[in-house]
Amino acid sequence: MLRFLIRRALGALVIIVLLIALTYFAFFSLPTDPARLACSKGCTPELLAQIRTNMHLNLPIYQQFWNYFSGLFVGQDFGTAGHCAAPCFGYSYNTQSFVWDRIVANYPATFVLAIGGAAIFLTVGVGLGMIAAWKQGKLADKAATAIGLVGQSTQIYFLGPLAMALFVVNLHWLPQPAYIPWTQDPWGCFTGMILPWTVMSVIFWSNYSRQVRSLMLEQLSEDHIRAARAKGMSNTYVWWRYALRGAMAPIITIFGLDLGAVFSGAIITEVTFGVHGLGYLAVIAVNQADLYLELGVLIFSSVSILLFNIIVDAAYGLLDPRVRIG
Amino acid sequence: MPALVAVSALTLTACGGGGTSKAGTTGAQASASVQNFLPGTAADSVGPAPAIPGAVTGGTAHDIENSGFDYLDPSQQYVNNQQEVGSLYSRSLTGYKTDPATGKVTLVGDLATDIGTTSDGGKTWTWHLKDGLKFQDGTPITSKDVKYAVERLYEDYQTQGPVYFQTWLSGANYRTTYKGPSSGTDLPDSVISTPDDKTVTFHFQAAHTDASYAASMSNITAIEKSKDDGAKYNAHPQSIGPYMISNYQAGKTLTLVKNPMWDPKTDPIRHQYVDSWVFDLGIDNQLMTQRLMAGQGDDKYAVSMALNADGPSIKTIESDPQYASRTMNKFLPFVDTYDINMTRVTDLNVRKALATAFPVANVQKINGGNATGEIAGNLVSPTVAGWKDTDPLGIKANPAGDPAKAKAILQAAGKLNTTIVYAYSNTPTGQQVATAVSDALTQAGFNVQAKPLDTTSYYTQVGKADNGFDLYRTGWAADWPMASTVIPPTLDGRLISDGGNNYSHYNNPAMNSEMDRIGQITDINTQDAQWMQLADKILATDIPQIPTYYDKYFNVYGAGLGGVGYNQVLGTIDLNSIFVKK
Repeated sequence: MLRFLIRRALGALVIIVLLIALTYFAFFSLPTDPARLACSKGCTPELLAQIRTNMHLNLPIYQQFWNYFSGLFVGQDFGTAGHCAAPCFGYSYNTQSFVWDRIVANYPATFVLAIGGAAIFLTVGVGLGMIAAWKQGKLADKAATAIGLVGQSTQIYFLGPLAMALFVVNLHWLPQPAYIPWTQDPWGCFTGMILPWTVMSVIFWSNYSRQVRSLMLEQLSEDHIRAARAKGMSNTYVWWRYALRGAMAPIITIFGLDLGAVFSGAIITEVTFGVHGLGYLAVIAVNQADLYLELGVLIFSSVSILLFNIIVDAAYGLLDPRVRIG
Repeated sequence: MPALVAVSALTLTACGGGGTSKAGTTGAQASASVQNFLPGTAADSVGPAPAIPGAVTGGTAHDIENSGFDYLDPSQQYVNNQQEVGSLYSRSLTGYKTDPATGKVTLVGDLATDIGTTSDGGKTWTWHLKDGLKFQDGTPITSKDVKYAVERLYEDYQTQGPVYFQTWLSGANYRTTYKGPSSGTDLPDSVISTPDDKTVTFHFQAAHTDASYAASMSNITAIEKSKDDGAKYNAHPQSIGPYMISNYQAGKTLTLVKNPMWDPKTDPIRHQYVDSWVFDLGIDNQLMTQRLMAGQGDDKYAVSMALNADGPSIKTIESDPQYASRTMNKFLPFVDTYDINMTRVTDLNVRKALATAFPVANVQKINGGNATGEIAGNLVSPTVAGWKDTDPLGIKANPAGDPAKAKAILQAAGKLNTTIVYAYSNTPTGQQVATAVSDALTQAGFNVQAKPLDTTSYYTQVGKADNGFDLYRTGWAADWPMASTVIPPTLDGRLISDGGNNYSHYNNPAMNSEMDRIGQITDINTQDAQWMQLADKILATDIPQIPTYYDKYFNVYGAGLGGVGYNQVLGTIDLNSIFVKK
């Protein structure tokens, strides 16, 4: 198992290095001039030259890349802005701050959004799928399938404003969605995140309900389930002890990958509800063409996704010995 | 002697404003004859600021912004909303005082006892500081702190604020003459002298008759040397205004609380009605508009300083009477233009045909209509002293454009099928405008090649001296309400460069000389009038730009706020007069 994990981690490391190199050179080959973007209204050639020097844009591109890459591990100096300690993801000239500081400041919102959202979409998705399988062909099955279908066809940027208009503006049931650090105000954090959690989960739960339904039905037709029933075990016991357990392995895989995606920033949800997480930071970076911020968020998100991939692989390896051998 | 004798009596419009339900009905034509931007006296510069009728103290006011404040360091603030938020915790040598009864705006001394004096026609300027000025830690403010604030503008990292004082003192390459206080030296007395703790004198290289106005910019302030840690100062600027920073998370939130060291008797401009200010940063434009319209919870006490309501909501706000009493619709200092690249389009007849065919009304409509921009006849905003409602190209007379007439002009000049490379920012609005412009110009007999440019690199590309395009949109705003900050920066041919602001690459030596002459006129009233005449003369003679519309601010604010005024100079909500209704 250890060898398996080491192999996966090394593979991920190679992917990350390639990703950093490709994205760095791709960004810096764009026609966008970061110095011009950072030069304010009264921009003069002198100011432009000064900004170019400050941003080290006068250095050859390979040297700029080396400074960036080595800075990830040993840190980097940014003149009067000071020393950027490792892991140094660069300096955002638009906001006069180190990229890592921005990521660290925004990540708690993404974390809370991901945890709450994932709890809802897993619970509701699996629950709907089980109801549909339990009541196969009946009204409850059709209703659960329909709910899942509606969820899959709905977009967050449509459902979000609608939910806010209804629950915040008209009914006054909920406060304006916002991320309030749970360490400051746990109740405020909970109420402020109810809508973002719920709306984000809608697009995920349909996938789970359909998967769980079909996997459960598949499991229920397996020989070992029939054998268990033949031995006189109760339906409920067989359902929970054997069928659900057998259906869970693929669900864990999907859940792990989805977690990786939401932990790396749920862009549309964060922008729709004004939650200042990693996805929101990505949008800001793109809008402002803040290349180092873009790069930093991209690398961080990619590492998150790769990390969850490894965790999923490990979990799958634990559940299924064939994976370890392979 | 007072340096500025008189600023022209500008007939500024009472466009929109709180209580107007129909935006655009109170535009440039509907005038309220308010004399604005006149230089005030020493008596006008004495605090406290005139009380706002009905104002009460207490409560928390909120502001919702689409983006974060990139710069809190007043030395680096140039964007209008940053300057406005800066005015809550920072002050300049001079500033603008608004009479709440008449709306009249007067230039007064802010840190200084008056708007400054010059003894030699504008080359040497002296300001005296008021008594009772303190930093937030209680340290008295002296003239050395003002000198230090200007000296730090020479530091390498100072790249965002205005450069007027630096270049006036030390030339365009001012950093080559002095490296800033971190170099361990001061600027010599021959450049800035501080004969005593209350007096600071600036020795410019040439006469600058509008220095009193330039001294109102955010970076002509006082900075406490012991608190300055270079670029990092941006995160914790020390207050000298009515509020000070208590919490700041870049791009997310900013909280200001009362500064106990601020003495209202020293300040003729600002109030300290609310207990605190909370700025909610980085909120999507649509969400921001919804929140302001709904006005629930804290949003009842919220404004958005400089951002317009989102397009689809504007019609609702205009048509629903419930928003009328809390809608603000005012001119911004910006004028949108379409620049003709003079180095490529050298034939005057071709430029004339472009201006004649250009579908200004359609472009204005696509960009939001009268609520967010009023059709412009010239290059100077109505918020600028000396502005006149002129129309040298006949744009206001026929805003729809006249492709048939343009075709006749081209035909007579033998220029039919002239190729025009039209560059535009590749946004949904930009695409719609491109279609409208291409259609109109094609009808006029041009061969139009529309080139979409990436939004983030748009100004990088059109800002190149050799950009390869013939026609493209730009915009410009006055830095202070005089056209001296509009005409030379955008039309002086000696400023053509990569990354410069003369986007049309207009270079007429006769006009350049005129700019030099007008800039030396000591009577500001005359100067303002002549800038306006020159702007029209340039348009009529050479047509380097096609003015399209005067930009306007349009948004709603929370019903729980009182004293919501408008800063005409910056083009933002005036935060300094706001109070929370009881």
